[in-house]
Amino acid sequence: MSKPSFYLHLRRAGVLAAAISSVSLLAVAAAFADDGKPVTGGTLIYLEQQPHTNIYPPSAGFYPNGGIVNQITDKLTYQDPKTLKILPWLAESWTVNADDTQYTFKIRKGVTFSDGTPLDANVVAKNFDTYGLGNKALKLPVSEVINNYDHSEVIDSQTVKFYFKKPSPGFLQGTSVIGSGIVALSTLAHKYDDLGRAPNIIGSGPFVVSNEVLGKEVDLKVRPDYNWAPPSFTHQGRAYLDGINIIVTPEDSVRIGSLTSGQADFIRQIQAFDEKQVADQGFQIYAAPTRGVNDAVAFRPDNPLVADVKVRQALLHATNSQEIVDTLFSANYPKATAVIAAVAAGYKDLSSKLTFDPELSKKLLDEAGWTLGSDGIRHKDGKPLELAIHVSIPQPQNQAVLQLVAQQWAKIGVKLDVLSGSAGNVVTDNLDPEKTPLAVAEVGRADPDVIKSEFYPLNRDALLQKGGSSSKVESFTDPKLNGLLERVAAETDPAKRIAEAGTAQEYILDQAYEIPFFEEPQVFAGAPYTHGIKFEAVGRPSFYETWIAAH
Amino acid sequence: MLFYLLRRIGQAVLVLWAAFTIAFLLLQALPGDAILIKFQNPDMGLSPAQIAEIRASYGVDSPLPIQYLHTIGNFLTGDFGYSIEAGVPVRDQIAQSLPTTLRLAVLGFLAATFIAFGIGIAAHLTQFRWLRNLLHALPPLFISVPTFWLGIILIQVVSFRLRLIPVINPGEWRGLILPILTVAIPISAPLAQILLRAMDEIETQPFVAVVRAKGATRARVLFRHVIRNAMIPTLTIAGILLGELLAGAVITETVFGLSGIGELTQQAVNGEDTSVLEAVVVLSAVAFVLINLLVDLAYPLLDPRLKQRKGAVT
Repeated sequence: MSKPSFYLHLRRAGVLAAAISSVSLLAVAAAFADDGKPVTGGTLIYLEQQPHTNIYPPSAGFYPNGGIVNQITDKLTYQDPKTLKILPWLAESWTVNADDTQYTFKIRKGVTFSDGTPLDANVVAKNFDTYGLGNKALKLPVSEVINNYDHSEVIDSQTVKFYFKKPSPGFLQGTSVIGSGIVALSTLAHKYDDLGRAPNIIGSGPFVVSNEVLGKEVDLKVRPDYNWAPPSFTHQGRAYLDGINIIVTPEDSVRIGSLTSGQADFIRQIQAFDEKQVADQGFQIYAAPTRGVNDAVAFRPDNPLVADVKVRQALLHATNSQEIVDTLFSANYPKATAVIAAVAAGYKDLSSKLTFDPELSKKLLDEAGWTLGSDGIRHKDGKPLELAIHVSIPQPQNQAVLQLVAQQWAKIGVKLDVLSGSAGNVVTDNLDPEKTPLAVAEVGRADPDVIKSEFYPLNRDALLQKGGSSSKVESFTDPKLNGLLERVAAETDPAKRIAEAGTAQEYILDQAYEIPFFEEPQVFAGAPYTHGIKFEAVGRPSFYETWIAAH
Repeated sequence: MLFYLLRRIGQAVLVLWAAFTIAFLLLQALPGDAILIKFQNPDMGLSPAQIAEIRASYGVDSPLPIQYLHTIGNFLTGDFGYSIEAGVPVRDQIAQSLPTTLRLAVLGFLAATFIAFGIGIAAHLTQFRWLRNLLHALPPLFISVPTFWLGIILIQVVSFRLRLIPVINPGEWRGLILPILTVAIPISAPLAQILLRAMDEIETQPFVAVVRAKGATRARVLFRHVIRNAMIPTLTIAGILLGELLAGAVITETVFGLSGIGELTQQAVNGEDTSVLEAVVVLSAVAFVLINLLVDLAYPLLDPRLKQRKGAVT
C-alpha cells in the first residue's frame, strides 16, 4: 500500500467514526423516545451461568436446560403463574373422569413442529407414552410429574385419551410443566445419550435452535409461522424477537459487568449480595419464585441421633431463619412460613410452628436426656450430639447458610459439621443416614404433588425411609406420613386436595422432619430496554413476549 | 535417528497406556459414579427401581476387568463413548473444545516466550541500572499474579471500563487477546527468570570474554552466544511448563467463558463423567509426550555437542 492511499484511508476512517458516533447519539435519543409499544426484531443476548446438560424434556428441570426448552417447546396446557390455574394451550379443551384415571384432550388444529411435521393426537400420545413409561431401548427415563401412567388411546387425529392405574389428579398440572414439552417423533427416536444436543430437540415452540457450540452457546431463531400461543395471552403470532443468543458465562462478575456495560441484555443467577450494585445502575432485577418446597434441611430419622422427635424439634426452634434471610439474602428471599412457599399451590401458613425459641430447644434437649458437656456440646450415653450435612451447590449461598445454622445450633450445644465433597461423595453420603443425619432439600413445582414428590419414599425420599432410595436404611419408616402424602396425590376434589396438603405439612412440621429456611427464587437481571420478560410458574424465563426497545 | 524415534514412540505408547489405566482405576476408586450422580439427583425424580434399571442398561455394575477391556477396546477404535452428564458423544465435545484450548495454549505460550525474551534482552541491553533492576523485578511480580484475578482485572478494565474489546461475542480472533494475555503473563515469569539467570551466568564465562576480545558487537555477543546458550535451560523449563499452561487455560476458559478442554474437564470432574475424563487424560498424556519429544529433538539443534553422544542424551 502506498503512503497517500494509507492517509486517505485514515481520513475516511475518521469520517466514518464521526458518522458512527452521531448514529449512536441518535440511538441514545431513541431510547428516551421508547413509547411502550412492542418492537419486532432484534436478538436478545442472554447469559447463562452453566452449559445445558441433557435436554430431553423430563430432564429439563435444571435451570440452564429449562431456559432453552421453555422457548422451543409448547405444552398441552398453560399454568397461569399468578392464579396457578390450568388454561388451554396445545389442548383446546379436556375432560377428566370422576376418579381422575382418564383424561381426554382435544388438540388444537394446525400446529406443526419446526421440522414441518404436524403436532396431532398421535404425536401427543407417543410423547406421554414415553414420558409416562420411559423407553428402555433408548434409555429414556420416566418423567417425575407423571405418576401411575398406564396407556394412551388415539381417538381421532385431534383427540387423545390417557389412562392411569390409580387416581392421578396431579396429571393435569403435570401437562403444563417444563418436563412435559411436546417434541416431534424424530426427537423421541433418539437415544437418551444423544439428547444433549440442542438441535436434536424438535418442538413446536416460538423459537427454533439454529446453532449450537457445545458447552458455549445456543442460538435460537424465531419461527415466523408460529401462531399457537396460549389463547389467554394478549400477544399472538410470532415472537417479537428475531432470535436469542444464549451464551454460557460462568463467572458472576463477568455476567454482571457484561450486562451493565451493554454487552448483554439479560442474565441469569445474581447472588443476593450483587443485587444492589445491579439495581443501582438502573438495571432490573427479576426474582421469580420457584413455588415449591422451600430451601430447607431434612432429617434422616434412621440415624439414632435424630430419631427422637424432641431432638428434631429442639433443632427446629434453635434455627433463626430470620437471621439467615437478614444476613445473607435480600427481600427477594422471603422467610419460610411452611414446608412450601407462600405462593405455592397447597400453601398453609404454619409460621406458628416455626418459631425461633432457643430456651424451648434447651428444655427439649434436656428432656431428651442430652446434657451439656465441658466441651460445650451435649452428650448422651457418652456420645456427642454432632451432626453432619453436605453443602448443596445448586442452592444459593448454601455453605454460608449452613455455617450460620451451625453457629445458631452451637448456642444450644449441638455441633453441625458442614461438609463439602466431590459430587460422587455427596451422592453416596446423602444415601447413608449414618453419615448424613441431615440433607439439604428443595423442589420447584406449582402443584400440591410437590410435597409427595419430596417426601414419599418412592420419589425423592428426602427423609430416607426403609424401602426407598437407600439400602443403608435400617428401619425408619413413617406409614402415617406416607398415607397423608398418598392422599395429597390421589384426592380428586381440588379443595380437599389443598386441605390434605395442609395436613401433610402440619404433620411434617409437628414431627420436625425438616426445617424450612426461606423461599427460593430464581434471580435474573435485565437491561432497562428489555421488556415483556415472563416466567413460567417455577421461574424459567419465557421470551415469547419479550422485545427490545431502541436504545 | 530412526531407532531413537522408534524407541521414543514405544515409550510414548507405554506412557499413554499407563495414563489410561491409572486414570481408569482412580476413577473407579472414587465414591459414586457418573450414572449415580446424574440419575440419583433429586431433580430427575426417579424411583430406586428406575435407577437400578438405568444402571443395568449402562453396565456400570459389571465386573471391573470387563469394563476395562470394553473401554480400552472402544478407545482403540476411536470411540470415546458418551458424556453421561451432557448427553453428547465425547468425540464431539473434544472436537469442539480442543481447537479453543490449542489456540489459547499455543498463542499463550508464544506470547509468554515473547514477553520473557523481551524482558531478558531489554535487561541486558539497557544502559540504565534502574531499568535493569525494574526488569529483573518483573518475573517475581508476574508469577505472583493469580490467573483468575488477572483475567477479571483485564476484563473489568479493558472490556467494561475502557470498552475496547467486548467479552460477549467479541469475534474469533479479537476475543483471544485478553485470554492470551491472561495465560501468558504468569507463564512468562519462570521463563524470564531462568533466561535472565542463564544469561547472567553465561556472560561471565571465559568464552564470552574471548568473543568480546575478538571484537564482536554487543548484539552479536548477546544473540549469537549468550542467548543461544541460555536457551537450553529455558527450553527444559518450557517443556515442564505445559502442565501450568493447561492449569492456566482451565481458569482462563472459565473466566472468559471459552468452551475449551479446561471447562470440559471441570464439568466432567464435577459429574465424575468417566468417558470424558479418560479422553482428557489420554489427550493430555499425548500432549506431554509430544512436547517432551519436541524439546528433546530441539536440544541437539541448539547445542551440537549433544548430537554426537548418541543415546546418552536422554
